[in-house]
Amino acid sequence: MPTISIFKSDLESLLDADRKHRAISIEDLENWLMLVKGELKGHNPDTGELRVELQDSNRPDLWCCEGIARQIRIKRKGKLKPYPFLARKAKTPLRLIVAPGLEHVRPYVAACAARGYRVTEEGLAQLIQTQEKLADIFGHKRKTVSIGIYQLQKIRFPVTYELVKPDDARFTPLGMETVMTLSEILMVHPKGLEHGHILAGQNRLPILRDARNQPLSFPPIINSREIGEVRVGDDELFVEVTGTDLSMVVLTLNIFAANLADRGATIEPVEVQYPKSTAIGKRVVTPQDLGKPRTIKIDTIERALGQELSEKTVKQALETYGYDVSVGKGTVKAKLPPYRQDLLHAMDVVEDVAMSCGYGSFSPEMPAQFTVGSLSRIEQASDRARELMVGLGFQEIISNILGSPEQYRDAMRLAETEWGNMVEVDNVMSLSFSCLRQWMLPSLLRVEAASNRAFYPHRLFEAGDVAIPDAAHDLGSRTETVLGAVIAHAAAHFSEIHSCLDVLLYHVGKEYSLEPVQHPSFLEGRAGRILVAGKAVGVIGEVHPEVLERWQIAVPVVAFDVNLSQLTDLS
Amino acid sequence: MDRSALIDGLHPLEIKTLTAFGPGGGVLPTEQLAAATGLEPSQLSMAVEWLLAKQLLLVASETVTPLVSLTPLGETYFEGYAPVEYILSAARDASSTGKRLTIPDLHAKEGLDPSDVSKAVGRLKKEGALLIVQGGCLESTGRPSPSAEAMRALLRELHEGPREVGGFPEASRQLIQEHAVRRGSTKEPFRVEDRVARSYRLSPDGVAVAGQLAAQPTLEEVSQLSPELLKDGSWRTKRFRKYTISLRAPRIGTGKKHPYREFLDAVKAKLVSMGFQEMRGSLVETEFWNMDALFMPQFHPARDIHDVYFVKQPTHAARVAEPFLSRVTAAHENGGTTGSTGWGYTFNRERAKRLVLRSQGTAVSSRTLAANPSVPGKYFSIARCFRYDQVDATHATDFFQVEGIVLGEDINFRTLLGLLNLFAREVAQAKEVKFVPAYFPFTEPSVELHVRHPRLGWMELGGAGLFRSEVTLPLGVTAPVIAWGLGLDRMAMVALGIHDIRELFTDNLELIRTTRGLF
Repeated sequence: MPTISIFKSDLESLLDADRKHRAISIEDLENWLMLVKGELKGHNPDTGELRVELQDSNRPDLWCCEGIARQIRIKRKGKLKPYPFLARKAKTPLRLIVAPGLEHVRPYVAACAARGYRVTEEGLAQLIQTQEKLADIFGHKRKTVSIGIYQLQKIRFPVTYELVKPDDARFTPLGMETVMTLSEILMVHPKGLEHGHILAGQNRLPILRDARNQPLSFPPIINSREIGEVRVGDDELFVEVTGTDLSMVVLTLNIFAANLADRGATIEPVEVQYPKSTAIGKRVVTPQDLGKPRTIKIDTIERALGQELSEKTVKQALETYGYDVSVGKGTVKAKLPPYRQDLLHAMDVVEDVAMSCGYGSFSPEMPAQFTVGSLSRIEQASDRARELMVGLGFQEIISNILGSPEQYRDAMRLAETEWGNMVEVDNVMSLSFSCLRQWMLPSLLRVEAASNRAFYPHRLFEAGDVAIPDAAHDLGSRTETVLGAVIAHAAAHFSEIHSCLDVLLYHVGKEYSLEPVQHPSFLEGRAGRILVAGKAVGVIGEVHPEVLERWQIAVPVVAFDVNLSQLTDLS
Repeated sequence: MDRSALIDGLHPLEIKTLTAFGPGGGVLPTEQLAAATGLEPSQLSMAVEWLLAKQLLLVASETVTPLVSLTPLGETYFEGYAPVEYILSAARDASSTGKRLTIPDLHAKEGLDPSDVSKAVGRLKKEGALLIVQGGCLESTGRPSPSAEAMRALLRELHEGPREVGGFPEASRQLIQEHAVRRGSTKEPFRVEDRVARSYRLSPDGVAVAGQLAAQPTLEEVSQLSPELLKDGSWRTKRFRKYTISLRAPRIGTGKKHPYREFLDAVKAKLVSMGFQEMRGSLVETEFWNMDALFMPQFHPARDIHDVYFVKQPTHAARVAEPFLSRVTAAHENGGTTGSTGWGYTFNRERAKRLVLRSQGTAVSSRTLAANPSVPGKYFSIARCFRYDQVDATHATDFFQVEGIVLGEDINFRTLLGLLNLFAREVAQAKEVKFVPAYFPFTEPSVELHVRHPRLGWMELGGAGLFRSEVTLPLGVTAPVIAWGLGLDRMAMVALGIHDIRELFTDNLELIRTTRGLF
């Protein structure tokens, strides 16, 4: 998932708020990063910059320096210190009023103020990075969640979240010099062009304005340059999150509030007043802890981890991982910290116990139950055929299955024929990788075409999967295993490849016959359908000179293509 | 060189030639040598060249004699007539019939070469056999032409065989020189070539070798053992010439497996030996089995249009089997009966039917889970998967994934680690391992296996975890299940000595033929 950039000194000061600086070694850091499923991808010793990849897509709280530091700090200190701004009956003078109509556009908003933290350069970089990563990945490119940060002292409360006609509101957006209407922003501003599709089809657009009707921003597109540009040295901030999913919106705000609080800010909640009741009420004070405690049997944890654990051990493991825990008889009641929302199942708690204890503290044990190993029938048939081909003096090759219609169909003279049907890709990135092979010959000709300098004769084969379109099949195609072989040299001849096919099928134990076929890839009169028990299982022949020309192959090529899946089914 | 080694290495032709000189040595001209050895001229000349190179034979004398012979054109002159003869007889015919004969007439008739015509006319005129009268007409004087006669005499004589040029009178020698093939004039009746007549004698070494050969029992030397020699037992009276076996072997084409397939075959055999059963799957899958059944929410970033290849036609599967569709829907929406809260969104059943190119091998495992697998059971697949990636040295759009599942009542986090230990030891020959917390959408807990490979050092070998209940229960499996995957391409690339992942599927036959797999 995201790779973020943090500074080692910033991390160290967040880990150790008392400023009794202890430098942390890179080795120690790598060990600590296991706690957050983080991997150190790069370290610049000159600037102190660290590049960390965070794996867990359900833990957006960890996609920032503050979050990583917090998880490590709790482990070191033994417990999460509760955030005072989450106290149940927080009274706040700050109001945000939601006007009717937004439920069909972008219904939810959460906000808070942060005072007393003077923004540093590193802090600002983190604030911007967190905003980007959360909106982009957690918020699905701003569709579900987007975030705005402002200079608090320029805002008069109450703030209003409402809808306006695209030309009825105007402000100077970040990154621009002039005043623009919302419709101009959508048409001209880079962010409008990038994210405007989220609001496609809306004839009225969301806007946040303060008590003096000053625009704060046009969510989820862009902030006002007047109010919505935070600079190093600012010490009063206003943070808002808008989106389509209430719990994700609140969670995102909780993460920002916790991050700013960890940097020393005092968080002032905001009361959001909705026109109608939401899932958590009509008046919603944010940040708000939406987590609910969950009771989990110790036995569930023990069985999953394969180890006996006391209630006390489990409690300690979870507390040092940030949970709020109380112990019952044979159970624990666990609640996630307010910046997390990823507890779907008891097993999620089990993993946190294991991580908190450290994976190294569990001794591996071999699964003891006896099972019999085996290969599938088709793999056995394919392996046997491959052995025979090697014995016949053929070199095995492997090819991409994904290729181009030019290779698989057009160069084979199969356009508009029954043999030319293929599974094609809808969202093509490159024509070279836009369809699945329906037979093996083109894969072999690909090697032949590139190998005119390799000494002759060339005897090549490949056994592998192909996709054969089949309207009668649930998936619209069948995946089957095919064996293809070619012989190429100045005097390559039908009987030469015929002999090889003959030996192969004899040893596979299949009686076969050849029947003439008009196949466009082969010379007429020198191509046959391979019949086993009356069923066509492949083709053999001298490759048509026009095909060779298309592939720029300068020697005669003879080939066969046998469907091993069909052959194996006939017994 | 050691003389006996030299003798052992002699070809039968060389031995014949050396011994032809007899005990006294002496000087033998080529013809006598040929008679004495009974060899064909080409064989003799080979033997002589070899012996000269070995300095066993010396050239005693050399004489060069020019020989003249007829070219194929000369033979046709002999059968018919030479230009000079033709012109003379045409002029005589014209004179006797009163017709006019001009030089252009000669050109048109018989297609004679203009330069041949003018040369011949000039000579005939000089000899007084021909006159050129008014209007450029040729007239015969009736007098004979010595050059035409000399030409006929030469043609007749040379038709019998080559002759020494020196044996002819001066006039004929001049005619030969004029009409001999030379650079810039290839259409001529005569060819003059130097005949080199050599005589040879043995060098002192040659005398010694010949003496030694004469002293040896005279076993006939043969180069090749043959069925005949075996059949009549006559190999016992033969000597087999020794070969220079230090020479490089000639290259031959071989039949062999592809080195990368050989690597995968070894992995396959290893897994079977550990009790794993192979699973097969479809290259085209529904989003349902590829992702939904694995509890990846439909809004998951890795399900984006930029991550997975979608199928153009048909776009959707005919159906997704029940009860799996309904149970998975419930697991996503509210957890259903899995003990989960679910993802809390409205599951799109139509989207579940969308056809994609299999993007992960785990799709094969999800199908197996739904097909009443054995408990205990171990399964694996080596599945071709497709990712919507820009192709470069480290990213392929089309690649193999080695993955599988282990089901059993004794499966838990510790047995998961035990299994990974086994993989580390058996697949990577690694003794040291590290277990690192990891994230996969379908497992909890999840772990990454890092091993210290004997040659590569620390590397990530694979990922694994316990399947979430949201995955197993809707598919009808109540036992705990390990899901595992191994990332083997890096190991394969090192074993094959390649640095670019695209070379695993290279089209370069020379490279495939010469790549050795050191596993």
